[in-house]
Amino acid sequence: MTGSPFERLRERLAEVSDLTKAATLLLWDQRVMMPPGGAEARAEALATVSRLAQERFIDDEVGQLLQELRGLEESSDYDSFEASLIRTTRREYEKAVRVPPDLVGDMRRASALGLSAWGAAKEHSDFEQLRPHLEAQLELRHRYVACFPPADDTYDVLLDDYEPLMKTAEVRDVFEQLKQELVPLIEEIGDAGEIDDSFLHGDFDTATQRQLGIEIVRAFGYTDDEWRLDETAHPFMTTPGAGDIRLTSNFRPGDLSSLFATMHEFGHGVYEWGVDRALARTPLGSGVSLAVHESQSRTWENLVGRSRPFWRWFYPRLQQEFAAQLGTVDEEAFYRAVNKVQPSLIRIDADEVTYNMHIILRFELEQDLIGERLEVAALPEAWNARMSQYLGVDVPDAAHGVLQDMHWAGGALGYFPTYALGNVISVQIWERAVEDLGDLDERFGRGEFGDLRDWLREHLYSLGAKFTPQETIERVTGSRIDAKPYVRYLREKLAPQVA
Amino acid sequence: MSVARLRETLGELSDLGHAEAIADWDSRVSMPPEGAEARSNVVATLTRIAHERFVSDEIGDMLDGLDGLEDETDAALVRLTRREWERARRVPGELAAELARAAGVSVAAWDKAKASSDFAAFAPHLERQLELKQRYIQCFPEVDTAYDVLLDEYEEGMTTAEVQRVFDRLKEVLVPLIASRAGDGVALQGPFPVDRQQQASRLVLDAFGWDPSTWRIDETPHPFASKPGLGDIRLTTHTDAGDLTSLFSTMHEFGHGVYEFDVDERLARTPLGRGASSALHESQSRTWENLVGRGRAFWRWFYPQLRPLFPDALGSVDEETFVRAVSAIRPGLIRGDADEATYGLHIILRFELEQELLAGTLAVRDLPETWNARMKQYLGVDVPDDAHGVLQDMHWSIGLLGYFPTYQLGNVISVQIWEVARRDLRELDEQFARGEFGQLREWLREHVYRHGSIYPPRELLRRVTGSELDPEPYLGYLQTKFA
Repeated sequence: MTGSPFERLRERLAEVSDLTKAATLLLWDQRVMMPPGGAEARAEALATVSRLAQERFIDDEVGQLLQELRGLEESSDYDSFEASLIRTTRREYEKAVRVPPDLVGDMRRASALGLSAWGAAKEHSDFEQLRPHLEAQLELRHRYVACFPPADDTYDVLLDDYEPLMKTAEVRDVFEQLKQELVPLIEEIGDAGEIDDSFLHGDFDTATQRQLGIEIVRAFGYTDDEWRLDETAHPFMTTPGAGDIRLTSNFRPGDLSSLFATMHEFGHGVYEWGVDRALARTPLGSGVSLAVHESQSRTWENLVGRSRPFWRWFYPRLQQEFAAQLGTVDEEAFYRAVNKVQPSLIRIDADEVTYNMHIILRFELEQDLIGERLEVAALPEAWNARMSQYLGVDVPDAAHGVLQDMHWAGGALGYFPTYALGNVISVQIWERAVEDLGDLDERFGRGEFGDLRDWLREHLYSLGAKFTPQETIERVTGSRIDAKPYVRYLREKLAPQVA
Repeated sequence: MSVARLRETLGELSDLGHAEAIADWDSRVSMPPEGAEARSNVVATLTRIAHERFVSDEIGDMLDGLDGLEDETDAALVRLTRREWERARRVPGELAAELARAAGVSVAAWDKAKASSDFAAFAPHLERQLELKQRYIQCFPEVDTAYDVLLDEYEEGMTTAEVQRVFDRLKEVLVPLIASRAGDGVALQGPFPVDRQQQASRLVLDAFGWDPSTWRIDETPHPFASKPGLGDIRLTTHTDAGDLTSLFSTMHEFGHGVYEFDVDERLARTPLGRGASSALHESQSRTWENLVGRGRAFWRWFYPQLRPLFPDALGSVDEETFVRAVSAIRPGLIRGDADEATYGLHIILRFELEQELLAGTLAVRDLPETWNARMKQYLGVDVPDDAHGVLQDMHWSIGLLGYFPTYQLGNVISVQIWEVARRDLRELDEQFARGEFGQLREWLREHVYRHGSIYPPRELLRRVTGSELDPEPYLGYLQTKFA
């Protein structure tokens, strides 16, 4: 073995990163390119490559190197690459070595089984088919939690996997604030009468939607040299390597939701794209957390893509392509329609306001489940009751209720809150950007988004995962996570919809 | 020691190979260009880890404990694994990594050099490849000819002397045949719209027995076939509106794909789970491309479907004229576009030059001149520039020296196997003329494909044909076809 301990650590981490990127590519290929017959062999290949990555990371040598590097970490500036890399690696390493490989294997298997059961259960709207899998998932989560020192809240341990160092109590505070503000807002809007959005439902050629989606994200910064856009049933973004950003969208002929999905995934992509290339092949080389990531997908989808000036720029182009459907709809009516607030059953179709209630509901139920205050068997009932309470909607069946999302079936408990936290953070960051850049409306109205993108790159994206999520948010916004700017934004934007 | 443990270890290595295959396929089909650098790191890491794990003492110990197995498949697994393990152990990890890295760098240089037809820009990379190959050869025990070491990698047990013997005989017959028949048959005039060609290719693939739940086809500048894993066969083709070559390249890649697809499933995730050798593989791509796809019976079925797709280009071309046109002997510059007769001379030229380069009797800087002189001598064509000459193929840039001969051996073997199939199966022509290819495919599956690499290539050939490598059936086929 040659090189300094730091160089050796970097080499090891680069190797782990390469294996992880190989797995990333295998997954992307599976969802976008692979003929279905290849599924079994792909599962084997993915299992092997992921396991090798894990084995190489939790290797004793990494632990020894981290020991040897304590001195370097302490003598280096906190902001330096060296200190950040050692600090972050140590945190991840110490978490990873606590989990026995057997448990990792059990969780991976249960996840695969749970996801395939979920597909069938959802199709038949039969919660009973999924119930044993959810019970198994909970049992595994308890075993997982037991690997760590006792936390204030059991849920803290789960949350930490998706939002490092975030505490349940803090999420609860933010969500209480949201609930207090949003429940009455939703009622006020409900009383104000209907906004016509019937023209958003029609026959929109999917090839044209794709073309328009590309035009939009090109204006945002997409280039053929570094990006691609494909179609999948569930849109996602992934980066199999630096300079290689892959988006997918779902082009449905019945509506224009693909445009927003494309902008959403662009937001995830541009965050990864903007990470300092010097951080590539290290654990610092990607977005810092799911919530901060979601803040950027929401920024480009909602703060930009559902804004008035954005449509001032793009609506004429959209109208031109879909003259039959939108020829008689003016810009104002279109803008209102794509911002219409209306309580509904499905999270992913929800508007900017009610979306958060879908998340709060899941956050609460997850805590009840892991805290053993709620039996899995009683989950559908609890779900339906809370949907009625928070959104005033009646859930007709499990497929449109508790079975709608795949997360729990795959074992992802603690993930959901990051979606709403992302919304909250998006406006905190946005306010700082506007403070620095001045009014962006005119630039957006001309189809110019470069100033915003460059500001975000400089202040947020380039940092990658050098700092904790909280440190990152504080560095960008000057404050901790705070729901007030987000609520203010919603109130202002939706004032015309309120009675 | 159990075979199960060996299989498990080899299965992991096969999984890493799966990941590499996807990394490679993706970089040629779907990767945005700026992803290249990160990708080369991923591939280097996968290759290195696979190499490290494969050359471990642990595998040697497992193999030692598994001598004299009764089960034929298990014994074959141990035999082939030992062969590959011993070869891999001879090559230091450092050299293996250097070979992989140099390939990545020089294929990019080749690409640029070809685009600007600038051999001088590529020459240092070729020199580097030759130097690395010399170091590689030195890792092996001394053989009659250094070139044997390279050949053996792609074609187990093949020797330079045997190739030389076969190629000398081919030259003897092909040179006069080409001289007497060149220029027969009209050249087809396009345009052949790309989407129509793709439609035609799909019709052919459907009839050959392709299935979208396990296959896919994409466009790349250089066609290839890949099997990342069981049940996942990927072909590529290059469709150019100027000619119909995509149709033949699709059939060619189908031949590679069907061989891999029909390997016995029980051999998956082991080194036995792939075709027996490069030449055997090429024999099957050539079977479907040429013996089937350039045959009269095939066109009796397909020409009536093809013609209406290209009314402008083919409206006045009758079937007989068309069939002659797609097989016409026309000495040209590019190997990839060569007809069945001249193709062999393109290969013989490369085989000779490779040996001279390795032996040091030809300097890299003199290569273009020698190339051009020999093209004139063998095919009577003048090479206008290096892009259409010495820079046309990527092989040397990625370190594939000793590979070219397998293409021509594939042609030779294809007809040896074909003759046996035709003896066993009656009325193949009638079936082809009805668009039925199932019997041929099933016969090939039974006799060739399903065995994967259970038998060394020489033994497989013997089992199927009852004879050794023999150029006469191939020459007989060409002489009859072009009589």
